[in-house]
Amino acid sequence: MEICKVFFHLSVSVILSPLQNYPLYIRSVPSQSELKFHYTVHTSLDVVEEKISTAGKAMAEQRELYLGLLYPTEDYKVYGYVTNSKVKFVIVVDSSNTSLRDNEIRSMFRKLHNSFTDVMCNPFYNPGDPIQSRAMFTMVSGLKSDKCGWLV
Amino acid sequence: MAQCAQSVQEFIQDSFVPMVSVLCSEDAERVTRKNNLSFPELLRPFCRLTSEGHLRDPNNQVVVVKGLRISVTGVNTRSPNSGEVRKLLSQAVSGCQPPEGLPANVITAGDYDLNISATTPWFEAYRENFLQSMPASDHEFLNHYLACMLVVSSREAVPTEQFLKLSQEQHRIQHSGEYTYPKWFIPNTLKYYVLLHDISDGDEQRADSVYEDMKQRYGTQGCYLLKINSRTGAAGPDEQMPDPWSQYLQKTNIHSPVSQFTSSIQARVLPAIHPLKLEQSADPGFPGNPSKAVNSADTARTQKQGSVTPGAAPTAHGACLTLNDHDRIRQFIQEFTFRGLLPHIEKNIRQLNDQLVSRKGLSRSLFSATKKWFGGGKVPEKSIAELKNTAGLLYPPEAPELQIRKMADLCFLVQHYELAYSCYHTAKKDFLSDQAMLYAAGSLEMAAVSAFLQSGAPRPYPAHYMETAIQTYRDVCKNMVLAERCALLSAEVLKSQAKYSDAATLLIKMTSEDSDLRSALLLEQAAHCFINMRSPMVRKFAFHMILSGHRYSKAGQKRHALRCYCQAMQVYKGKGWTLAEDHINFTIGRQSFTLRQPENAVAAFRHILINDSKQTATQQSAFLREYLYVYKSLSQPSNEGSLPQLPLPCVHSAQTRVFFGHEPRLAEGEKQAATHVWLDQEFDQEQAQLWAELEEQVVAVANRGSVHISFQPTQYCLSSHTENLRYPFAVVEEPMFVEVVFRNPLKVPLVLSDLSLLWKFTTKDFSKPQGALNDIISTEVIPEFTVGLEETKVARLKLLPHKTGELHVLGIVYNLGTREEDNSASEGITQKLLMFVRGRQDLEIQGPRLNVTKEEKTSVRHGPDRRLDPIITPPMPLLEVFFINFPTGLLCGEIRKAWVEFVNVSAVPLAGLRVASTHPEFFTFGSATADLTPVTPTAAEHCSAYKTMVTPPSDAAVTLVSPAAFGITGDNRPTVVEIPLTGGVLGPGEALQIPLWLRGPDREGVHEISFLFYYEGLEKNAKLGHRVLRHKAVICASRSLSVRATACRSNTLPGRGKRDEREEERSGSMLVFVDVENINTSEAGVREFHIVQVSSSSRQWRLHKYIRENKMQKIHLASRERGKLCFRATRCRTQEGETDSCTKFCQLTIVSSTTPCADFFFRRGPPSERQSLTPANSTDDSMTSIVRKCSEVELDIIVLWKAYVVEDNKQLILEGQLHVALQTIGKEACSLSQKEEAQEMVLLKFKPDLPPPASRPSLEQLSHLIKTCLHYPESYDHPFPQKSLCMVPVTLTLSNCSLAQVDVIIDLRHKTTSPESLEVHGSFTWLGQTQYKLQLRPQEVHGLSLKACFFQAGVYNLGTPRVFAKLAQSGTMCETSQQSAMPALIIINSV
Repeated sequence: MEICKVFFHLSVSVILSPLQNYPLYIRSVPSQSELKFHYTVHTSLDVVEEKISTAGKAMAEQRELYLGLLYPTEDYKVYGYVTNSKVKFVIVVDSSNTSLRDNEIRSMFRKLHNSFTDVMCNPFYNPGDPIQSRAMFTMVSGLKSDKCGWLV
Repeated sequence: MAQCAQSVQEFIQDSFVPMVSVLCSEDAERVTRKNNLSFPELLRPFCRLTSEGHLRDPNNQVVVVKGLRISVTGVNTRSPNSGEVRKLLSQAVSGCQPPEGLPANVITAGDYDLNISATTPWFEAYRENFLQSMPASDHEFLNHYLACMLVVSSREAVPTEQFLKLSQEQHRIQHSGEYTYPKWFIPNTLKYYVLLHDISDGDEQRADSVYEDMKQRYGTQGCYLLKINSRTGAAGPDEQMPDPWSQYLQKTNIHSPVSQFTSSIQARVLPAIHPLKLEQSADPGFPGNPSKAVNSADTARTQKQGSVTPGAAPTAHGACLTLNDHDRIRQFIQEFTFRGLLPHIEKNIRQLNDQLVSRKGLSRSLFSATKKWFGGGKVPEKSIAELKNTAGLLYPPEAPELQIRKMADLCFLVQHYELAYSCYHTAKKDFLSDQAMLYAAGSLEMAAVSAFLQSGAPRPYPAHYMETAIQTYRDVCKNMVLAERCALLSAEVLKSQAKYSDAATLLIKMTSEDSDLRSALLLEQAAHCFINMRSPMVRKFAFHMILSGHRYSKAGQKRHALRCYCQAMQVYKGKGWTLAEDHINFTIGRQSFTLRQPENAVAAFRHILINDSKQTATQQSAFLREYLYVYKSLSQPSNEGSLPQLPLPCVHSAQTRVFFGHEPRLAEGEKQAATHVWLDQEFDQEQAQLWAELEEQVVAVANRGSVHISFQPTQYCLSSHTENLRYPFAVVEEPMFVEVVFRNPLKVPLVLSDLSLLWKFTTKDFSKPQGALNDIISTEVIPEFTVGLEETKVARLKLLPHKTGELHVLGIVYNLGTREEDNSASEGITQKLLMFVRGRQDLEIQGPRLNVTKEEKTSVRHGPDRRLDPIITPPMPLLEVFFINFPTGLLCGEIRKAWVEFVNVSAVPLAGLRVASTHPEFFTFGSATADLTPVTPTAAEHCSAYKTMVTPPSDAAVTLVSPAAFGITGDNRPTVVEIPLTGGVLGPGEALQIPLWLRGPDREGVHEISFLFYYEGLEKNAKLGHRVLRHKAVICASRSLSVRATACRSNTLPGRGKRDEREEERSGSMLVFVDVENINTSEAGVREFHIVQVSSSSRQWRLHKYIRENKMQKIHLASRERGKLCFRATRCRTQEGETDSCTKFCQLTIVSSTTPCADFFFRRGPPSERQSLTPANSTDDSMTSIVRKCSEVELDIIVLWKAYVVEDNKQLILEGQLHVALQTIGKEACSLSQKEEAQEMVLLKFKPDLPPPASRPSLEQLSHLIKTCLHYPESYDHPFPQKSLCMVPVTLTLSNCSLAQVDVIIDLRHKTTSPESLEVHGSFTWLGQTQYKLQLRPQEVHGLSLKACFFQAGVYNLGTPRVFAKLAQSGTMCETSQQSAMPALIIINSV
């Protein structure tokens, strides 16, 4: 957990494919405890599905993409976001990081979504493949450094 | 939470039962001991009452007690300490494994189909044991003793005295204060006097009398006569007795003071042993036999799980008891409960109720008010800190609050839940107001439980009571045991109400660091809660399963850990969560290994390694090492064929290549072996096609023109590109190579050692005894083969068959290891040895997909691929070909002599040696007529390739040569050449060396020349009809000379000169101009070219004379120089064969009519070019052909040259020859055919070509019909002063070149239109007839005498007559002006 203190905000961000829920893109900023994040994110899918199924029926059209805090664990907060095409985004942040408000998380998701859209627009990208985009990489790194500057 | 065997109500009722202690006299103990049971144990199976009991509550209402169970234990049993409890629980859990082969239920959630056991018996076992091992505490009375049985044997001398003694003993235990344990419910405990009578041993009458006495003394309700042991002898083995004790006895462990346990490992390994074996000696109730007790606990549990134990055979328990005795015991318990216990409880409840009611008069409020007023009292003033730590607060046993609690507990035990709830509720309020948190929590817990158990459910289950209770237990009282009990109860209740989510949260909250086992079990139950929810949360289930598995493994419950991981694996499998998947697989592998399931372990590790791992290199190497270690520990089968499959490295089976034959030899000095085929060569479709065509040609020649319909080109190298439908042939004693492609997907290098092929061999002749494996086929073993990280590498494995039969290559066998990065060398070696495992991988090659029939198109079917299944045939001849002095670079047209050696390296004679080539013009072995002087290659090294002879320089020599002598028949070029062998056979081991002449290709550049050597064995019916050897030579041709030749008609007509000459000239003569240019660009290498000789070859013409100024002038051409030669050619009469004449420029004459010059001449050029003219016109109308013929020459000119080349400071003389084919007069021909380039540009035409337009002779051709020539004196002296007119006789000779009659019109009139001719001064006039019309017969020469008339002296051009000709037959055609004669100048001198 020592490492998490150093890079304390954005721990991991994940994009998941719409139907099979296999990961399209996983990026964990301290890469040491990646396994744990895999488990955490995978488990969070249950909550995402629950939220979609409860909220989805009522107002399928103007559903809010941002799902909010999925659940807090002892060390992390897990946030979710689902596009209309059921692509799921999950961001896990350190729960000690109190400065991240809902709005910031929301904008992070929006950036992530935009970046993902760019990737999908790439004619050379084969939908369903793991994303290996450099633009995506820098964007996610940017999310992190952005916040860094913000916090300091 | 998983489903349980018991319902919730049953579970809770069974958790809290009235406790009865037993005090036994020694004699009585002895009686029961006969059955290997203590008295409590004897009773235990019968402790559940089957009939209903009744009692009246304080309000005189009847309470029905259903299914009551009582617990009977020895009075001196003490609760085990926490450490023991821990061990006990751990054993209970580990001893209870999911039954194998039981159909687990499948839960479908979303995309997941999960195979999960619905029940978790180990959890129930844990819970049961846990609840029973709860120590009795002061704040609650549920597990305090309510009654005490005093048991005395009827054999006792004075049983009543004994009863008295026991009674006093009981009193002492309860009231003396010496013992904290056991705890007693009520001060005046119910004493129940039991007289135990041994029927087999005692006097029944006496017993009865004693019992009568007892009845008097204690009342009928307080005593009982129990008669047992009615069986006299030992139970016969045939008699089957139910053994109700076996399943209960392990429970005694809890209460028996077990001092030590054997290591848990022993217990875990044991289940394989037959359970009953141990039971015989097991005496679990006895403290003296602890280790056995553990084992029997284990086995008994497995029995309970349903492992069928038919007829619990000669068990020691209850050996002296008959079924009647069982009934008696049952009767006794019932009697005790209904007559003794329940009335006792009823009485006590009443009593307590009365007390409470009486006290109520004083009022609780007043009581508490006084407390407040005076302070002190029994509740001291407490600081806040103390308030928090109220666990220490103790009420004296007679405190009124405790009385309420006591009454509540009693009511609870007799299932009067309504009253119990109200009492608990009251007690709770009191305790809370006193801040006695432990007591309050206990009351809260029980209040909640009893509220739940109330039938008809008047109030909802107060879940918050439970929550508060748990929190208090845990946080305030720090009593995890109680908290756990509370949580277990609450979770069970919540589960029954389908509040899975709450249950899961509750269970997860209870996990903590202090007990791994508990955490594991609770997490597992939580996981089951998630999956049982209305919308199952599969992933949460999986995650908690993993957490649980982790805790299980920490708790040493490896089997359970493995099960958890396996269940979680179902969710993670194949979903792309590679890290998690790898982690699970890794853990499964490890756990399986420690549980001695190496197959599963290997499979799990294999899974990690096979998939494209995203792990880091270090992680991968760790996985690999672990895998190797696990694999190694797996018992190694000795048989190679049954070796297990290894996962690494990946083998690309489809890319496997097979090669039949020897490894190619490298060149030995000057000897250069034929390239043949080898695995290094990439497959090239074009090349393969080319070779196949060549082979077909040569086979056709060998079979006299026919190719068998099933002809298949020989394939030495089989790959995925070749057609592998047929079994390939391999020859015995000839090696075969299998090239296997390995890919290492890991970031760790892999080391394969002792790599060899695995094969199966079916021999043809069964008569011969089979030898050792190496006698059949020797297998080459590669000692070490390293595949680097993420590398693809090929290995070539060799087999050498020694017997004929059918061979099947199955796969590869090797030791898999990894390179240890060790610094110390010695350690590295030992490590490496340790890290190697032996295994195999199969080579399974799928054939190409079939796509012919409809069925094949609609389904995916693959054809067979027999690459790896060769048939080993009997020995065949094997040819090796060596080239000696074979050049790599040649000048265009250069002639070089090399040697070729044929060696038969097999033990079988070889015959029918032939060679086919793509470039037959490139080489010759010499003609049949040429005397093959067997000169060794060394001797001939510096000699000229040509045969020469010294002759005086004469102008021309004529030789008659027929092309047939050079193996050329007809028009086709000989692509196949037979190589003469002595006797037609090349014996085993024999070698033949013959010369080989090479001629540099005419075009510059790099040429690939393919040779296909064909040979066959003497046996005609062999499976392999023939064999071939391929050779590909690469020749770099550089430019030498360019020769251009033109022919023009000579105008000279027979005139003066010798007669024979005239004769020849009569039939026509021609001038041939040969332009020779040195176009060699490398000025350093080639100094200069000398034209040595010019030869010609034609059926009709021969070079007659070299026209030159200086007789002996040599023609030397340095770089970029150019020379022109002029010859006169004459028509020769010989029509048979081709004439060969030569003109030479030096003393030595090259005999151009022999090998090699003539060979190359006849093999020259692409035939199509040469044949295009002659045959085509024969079908045309005769006229055209006639016209054409007259301008046609068929003259080939051979220019022989020498080049002086400097190479390595040495001057070499190279020789060569160039061919020019002259076809038409006036048309330039070149030694380099320009046509080929044009061909490359030809567009593909899909329309059929239009037929060529009716070939009409062109004007140009027609103008060559008549040759004209003027004969006149060159100068004429005329005395103009005397005679003004000068008359000069001129003869115009007309010669018909054609073979048809020609009408000729000669017009002498001046019609010079060109101004030029006007300028030429001098008009002269023809005298006499100025226009003639003649008809010339074929080839006729006609002289026409004319007269020219001049007026003055001067120079005049006489060439003014114009000649028009037309063929006599073609009437329509107008005459064509014939080629005008050259200016014929005449000088008229005035004398």
